[in-house]
Amino acid sequence: MKKGLVKLGTHVLVILFLAFMLLPIYQMAITALKAESEAWLTPPSLYPRNPTLENFIEMFEIVPRLPLFMGNSFIYGLGVSLISLVVAVPAAYGLSRYQIPARRGIIFLLVYANMFAPIMLLVPLYDIMRALGLLNTRLAMILAGSVFTMPLSVLLLSSYFETVPRSIEEAAFVDGCSRSRAILQVVLPLVLPAMVAVAIYAFITGWSQQFVLALVLIQSPDLMPITQGLYQFFSRSSVRWPELMAASFVAASIPMLLFMLVQRYIVQGLTAGSVKM
Amino acid sequence: MLNLQRSPGVRLRTRWAGFPYVLPMLLFLAVFLIYPIFRVLYLSFFEVSMLNMSPKWVGLGNYVWAFTFRMPGQEGVYFLASLGRTVVWVGLSLLLKVSLGTMGAVLLHQPLAGRQVYRTLAVLPWGLPWAIAAMTWAWTMNTQFGLVNGMLMRLGLIEKPVAFLGAPLPAFLSTAVADAWIGLPFMVVMILAGLQSVPEDLLDAALVDGASPLVRFFRVTLPLIRPVVLTTALLSTVWTFNSFDPIWVMTRGGPVSATETLPIAIYNVGFRLLRFGGLGKASAMTMVQVLLVTGITLGYLRALRGSQEVSS
Repeated sequence: MKKGLVKLGTHVLVILFLAFMLLPIYQMAITALKAESEAWLTPPSLYPRNPTLENFIEMFEIVPRLPLFMGNSFIYGLGVSLISLVVAVPAAYGLSRYQIPARRGIIFLLVYANMFAPIMLLVPLYDIMRALGLLNTRLAMILAGSVFTMPLSVLLLSSYFETVPRSIEEAAFVDGCSRSRAILQVVLPLVLPAMVAVAIYAFITGWSQQFVLALVLIQSPDLMPITQGLYQFFSRSSVRWPELMAASFVAASIPMLLFMLVQRYIVQGLTAGSVKM
Repeated sequence: MLNLQRSPGVRLRTRWAGFPYVLPMLLFLAVFLIYPIFRVLYLSFFEVSMLNMSPKWVGLGNYVWAFTFRMPGQEGVYFLASLGRTVVWVGLSLLLKVSLGTMGAVLLHQPLAGRQVYRTLAVLPWGLPWAIAAMTWAWTMNTQFGLVNGMLMRLGLIEKPVAFLGAPLPAFLSTAVADAWIGLPFMVVMILAGLQSVPEDLLDAALVDGASPLVRFFRVTLPLIRPVVLTTALLSTVWTFNSFDPIWVMTRGGPVSATETLPIAIYNVGFRLLRFGGLGKASAMTMVQVLLVTGITLGYLRALRGSQEVSS
């Protein structure tokens, strides 16, 4: 009896905690589903009385460039993902297979780099991109974005490379494989899950977190990522919240769903970086 | 591990043989991370702004400015006020992250029916873009139409809606809550991983001893997960210090300057209030931020090493 009560109490506490964690997402969903007349009630209704999808259509009428902004974010995500993979995969291989000089220093650099956020490099990144003539280009956004996905990508991949026994490569050498063939045909397929995880993680970050960078690197509205593009729902006098929440819902569900797939790997990467110091 | 019985010459060759793999990453970080850090240091000694990009040497002028400049109509030295505000704001957000994160992790660690569903739902917000999370929080806290006021009024807890983002103190607290919310899934997941590594037999032993759940938590579980909580909290401290999106989206640093933390101030001085600042002055302010982050990173590494000694 007492045990049952404790169980029930725990369920209640968990649900309270979840209520807090899901409150804004719930707010987003119900606002997106409310009809225009219902969205502007005071006090607000706690659930949509007559759910409708009209906001998901009207959002394109209010901000016709919405698909363009999503497309930009998609390109930023893809670019960041590509650079992260191309640079991080060899680096992770090198770190896990060789006793490279200054290996500890390199790992320290990665852990340190992981502490940086765009805001700390805003001035110099602006300065460098200006010097390279890259201001107001997609490439600037992709290069700058990759700085912040690189550390975790390398740490995550190298901890995964460690799990692939060297004997597998060595067997391939014995069979007369060159090192590059052994890596491409034997090792990489084995770390494919981690590579997919890194690709998705970098894509999500490129899609989601280019907000600050866009503030200084981009002037043209045509290059805005979706997080900036959502500001088009703000006008001088009012904010079109119902349509904004519908657009936010679409823009947020993509990274949220993808994140569920890779969350386990990211936690591994975050804890693994420390292990090998 | 490498075979150490080879001759030193062979070992050296083997060591350098791996270098080409790491080189692209090192070059990338050299250009876009290390050079920028030194560039900030360099620019912090120059007068330079977006209006006039040719740097003019001013020595320590920007640092002197940071420690003396008073924004017209605001109290105190602009930079120092913002720094102090940042420390309090970060402390508040972190307190929420650590306490709620530990609580959430412990709750989700309990053997309950549907635990996997609960866990999935709890970390769902992790993938939400910060800017969108902040916009949604602003709407959730909206005075007239937001759910928070709506619920509080229905429950009879308040008579008039609260303008959460309209006055200095509420805005300060509200942005910290939103920031804590953004960082919570990370805390929960990391602490949960720590809890899962606590040996069951220790808890069982305490159970046999007749310890109550609370005593078991404070005397057995908490000391065991302390290293995880500590390292996670330090990592989170740095990220919270760097937090820009929630405040920028929700209040732009206002009302007045109530939520103008260091990241917001750096952006304002560097890119927005060109009349008062410029990139040089923003660089001097960034240097303080870099020093803070470096200090915490060193503390983080020390804590990590400590926790490894405990666990191994």
